[in-house]
Amino acid sequence: MPSSAGRLLLLLPTTTYRTEAFVEAATRLGVELVCASERPSTFEPLAPDALITLDFTDPAACAETVARFARRRPLDAVVPADDLTTVVAAAIAQRLGLRANSVPAVSTARDKHAMRRCLAGAGVPVPRFRLVSLGDDPALRAAETTYPCVLKPLALSASRGVIRANDAREFVAAFRRISAILDMKDVSLPGEARHALLVEEFIPGVEVALEGLLVAGTLHVLAIFDKPDPLAGPFFEETIYVTPSRLPEDTQACIAAVTREACSALGLAEGPVHAELRVNERGPFILEVAARSIGGLCSRTLTFGTGLSLEELILCHALGRPLESLERERRAAGVMMIPIPRAGRLAAVHGTDEAAAVEGIEEVAITMHPGQDVVPLPEGWQYLGFIFARAETPDAVEQALRSAHARLRFAIE
Amino acid sequence: MSEDLKTKVQELIDSMINPAVAGHGGFVELVDVQDNRVYLQMGGGCQGCGAADVTLKQGIERLIKEEIPEVAEVLDATDHSAGTNPYYTAGKA
Repeated sequence: MPSSAGRLLLLLPTTTYRTEAFVEAATRLGVELVCASERPSTFEPLAPDALITLDFTDPAACAETVARFARRRPLDAVVPADDLTTVVAAAIAQRLGLRANSVPAVSTARDKHAMRRCLAGAGVPVPRFRLVSLGDDPALRAAETTYPCVLKPLALSASRGVIRANDAREFVAAFRRISAILDMKDVSLPGEARHALLVEEFIPGVEVALEGLLVAGTLHVLAIFDKPDPLAGPFFEETIYVTPSRLPEDTQACIAAVTREACSALGLAEGPVHAELRVNERGPFILEVAARSIGGLCSRTLTFGTGLSLEELILCHALGRPLESLERERRAAGVMMIPIPRAGRLAAVHGTDEAAAVEGIEEVAITMHPGQDVVPLPEGWQYLGFIFARAETPDAVEQALRSAHARLRFAIE
Repeated sequence: MSEDLKTKVQELIDSMINPAVAGHGGFVELVDVQDNRVYLQMGGGCQGCGAADVTLKQGIERLIKEEIPEVAEVLDATDHSAGTNPYYTAGKA
């Protein structure tokens, strides 16, 4: 029996950037939240009806724990904040009979090799790919490979461990580097993802991201972001996202159509999707379709209807509330994920006031704290912070972001 | 009225809230109470913590509203970007 007020379980890994946005959205909507993390909150003993600890590496156990919780506090919806919790959310939803994607669909989307296989089998354009075991001799695998290629872990995010190789020597070096990343103590991956990597064709062209919402199997495109900085390797650090896209309308229509085919092939039917595509003269290629919303703080670029945030849309959809509008605001918007220039310890950030004063800049959010170790790609996965801009045109947004970034100075020791 | 509320909130911070957040090296200070809204600052492990919003809304605000029903809202006045030792650190996931 669902609660009458609308009670929603939010799955929040302690490492997610998404907490503030989802908690704020729930507060604005008057949704009663139950928050689950993989490590306990200090308040859990005082607020056992509002806070739960779940082992996100064991979706079946999570579903049982939540089912016991829901017998005394019924839940109306479950929402994963990001990649780490999509499969857990599906398992819980299935156990409680809530509307959500199926476990097989999100499990396939979460595993880059399974996703490639599924999409290729359905005729959706993806790079040519193959699975390589980390137990293999990399020199032998390198000799079988066509170049340039891209090597990537099966389940890490934020371009962590994604490396381009132009020849056999670079292949072997990338193979060993990814193997070392998968051995890092903060990396916790399931099954095959610990022991294999994906080798795929490097697709030249521009890269875009599509943010969408699936409602009963229909994909609603919320935004297409251009990524104007070239992503040609050897690492693939994401920096600027700008929407609306400046690509021709028919190209954008193709991007949306290919993403719809991908969602359908994967069996994704409900909730947010974040897709990454490469586009060239052969058309769009799917690099990734994730059953989650955009990462980092990037959702701050998106506002819908009369001012709803992306997270408000996601919570409303999960609870079966009417969606007021899926139309993004008229103005152009963008974000720069501030890259880490080199490894070290962050001592100070200078120039934030000057950066914030640039015309069009709405916010400069430094998310790393003084004294924190900073690690660039491909081993790292964090950003120094985020710069947000709005303006009349995408070009003006991009210019504002670049101008603001040029005013920032990072002291890294 | 406001002074009375402040006293009640401060007592709750001292008796229940700070002992709870101390487990993660954090502490909470009362900044002000205006129009039944409580303004707090978080420090130590709570300042800049990736879970600070959960602690505030799911823990502190619930507890304060339960114990002091006249409180309408609890708001965070913390400069989280200045936190140097957050208990949980966000990374893109």
